[in-house]
Amino acid sequence: MSDVPRLRPLGQPRVVTVRTDKNGELTHVRLPGKPARTVESVHERWRIDDEWWQQPISREYRVVILDDGRNVTLYHDLFEGNWYAQRD
Amino acid sequence: MSEPHPRLQGVTTHYGRGWALTDQPTGWASGPGSGSAFLSVSPRVSSGSRQALCLWLPTFELRLELVRSPELDSTSIALLAPGESTRRTIWQVSERAHKAGVRPEQLVSQAVSLCPSLTLLEPDPAHYDAAVESMLELLAEITPILEPAGRGRVFLGMDGLSRLFGSPERQAKRALCSLFRIFPAPLVAATRAGMAPGKFGAWVTAASARSGEPVIVGESDLARFLARCPVSSLPVDPLIVQRLERLGVHTLGELRRFPEPSLISQFGDEGQSALAWATGRRIDPVRPWHRPEPIRVSLDFPNPVGITDTLHRALDRLIERALSRPTRRGRSVTGARLGAQLEGGGSWFVATVLREPTAQRERIASPLRMKMAISPPPKAVDILIVELTQFGAPSAQTGLFDRRDANGRAASGRALARGEVPPSLRDAVKELKLRLGHSPLYHVVEVDPWSRIPERRHALLSFDP
Repeated sequence: MSDVPRLRPLGQPRVVTVRTDKNGELTHVRLPGKPARTVESVHERWRIDDEWWQQPISREYRVVILDDGRNVTLYHDLFEGNWYAQRD
Repeated sequence: MSEPHPRLQGVTTHYGRGWALTDQPTGWASGPGSGSAFLSVSPRVSSGSRQALCLWLPTFELRLELVRSPELDSTSIALLAPGESTRRTIWQVSERAHKAGVRPEQLVSQAVSLCPSLTLLEPDPAHYDAAVESMLELLAEITPILEPAGRGRVFLGMDGLSRLFGSPERQAKRALCSLFRIFPAPLVAATRAGMAPGKFGAWVTAASARSGEPVIVGESDLARFLARCPVSSLPVDPLIVQRLERLGVHTLGELRRFPEPSLISQFGDEGQSALAWATGRRIDPVRPWHRPEPIRVSLDFPNPVGITDTLHRALDRLIERALSRPTRRGRSVTGARLGAQLEGGGSWFVATVLREPTAQRERIASPLRMKMAISPPPKAVDILIVELTQFGAPSAQTGLFDRRDANGRAASGRALARGEVPPSLRDAVKELKLRLGHSPLYHVVEVDPWSRIPERRHALLSFDP
């Protein structure tokens, strides 16, 4: 039998490095393996609080537009404090 | 009943000014009846040039040989058909030879018995191709829309040239006169020119023209001109032409008297096509000819080589060299030619169109070797030449989701049903499992599509049909 798993996760979030200003707003983002980019604007933001009955999840999402024109969905894990890039 | 066009009537058997030919061995048209250049055209005029000028040099190859060896002009000569080794046949014959009874496609033994003084010439395709190249380069100065149809025939798109060159007559003469720059006067004088709307019209016009005297048929005269042409000029299945002739239909004018439904019931779509050509309703425009620059490599042997194994090894090396050329990178090969300069003069060529685009040496060499076995060089080889002539996409990879049946035929008319696995994908998975021990392919499945957590909505499930 092969050891290859039949089911694999898809669209797992990746840790990113960010820089924020004094108000906690994103100013720079470095995606894995890519150079740092300036955040031009924040397009959208929302928050998810879920699964409080087991492992609580609390995320603050932002869709940001980078200086190279790309739209990236990022979230801030409010429990861990890390920032992640989320694939849609 | 109208009489068939007097000049076109003879054109399938004898081509005026003392030359008779057949071009069957090379596959290009030997008269209006063969018309292979027209068969694949679309019935609509969507692009290209509607006004067409056809320049046609009958027995082009034989005439080129006479230019090279003028002393043969007063003798009976015949050009041997290329690509045959054992039972060699005649390809083109001079007027004297024709008078002696020598005909194209005759066996050499038969031809020599009919005309003992017959001089037989080996074909030199490299020389003929070079002449065609220079002719096309020259004509490209007149119009950018050029479409060659065989070695001695070329169509020129003449739309919009009246302001530059004047009337259609002047345009045709201009094209003819330009040939003087590369061909000697007798060769140009033998060239026939015809201008009409569409390639078919231009071709039958050129075939009915006298050498050096262009015939111009305008839009309004086309139907009337075509009416006198024989049905053998139609670019349709020769069997249909035969049947028409047996039915007593000899000219396009006679064909036009039949109602379209009757022709369709007798001959199907071809009947409809025949009527469209005959009435001048179908106009096939001259389309610009695109030919990528071939990649040519050659090997000069210190001594002439006749051993097949040596030639095969040289072929392999040459293909490797051609494939490694920077100009080939990023392109696969779909057509190649193998040629040779032969000991004591003359040349030899075989060509192949590959079934699938490839950049692998063996896949290119194999069909060329087979062609060489069928039609080997008639003499020892001085220089072996490989030309990559046609190119395709960077790789031959086919789409995994192509809807093709087990025989590789494309399915059409329906979309892939949900859950249906195309045979190409099934084969790919089978091959990968054999190599890797497992299928590395996955398909996306819904796990919790309405989850607020994006990474929980879908997952990858191993794909193993």
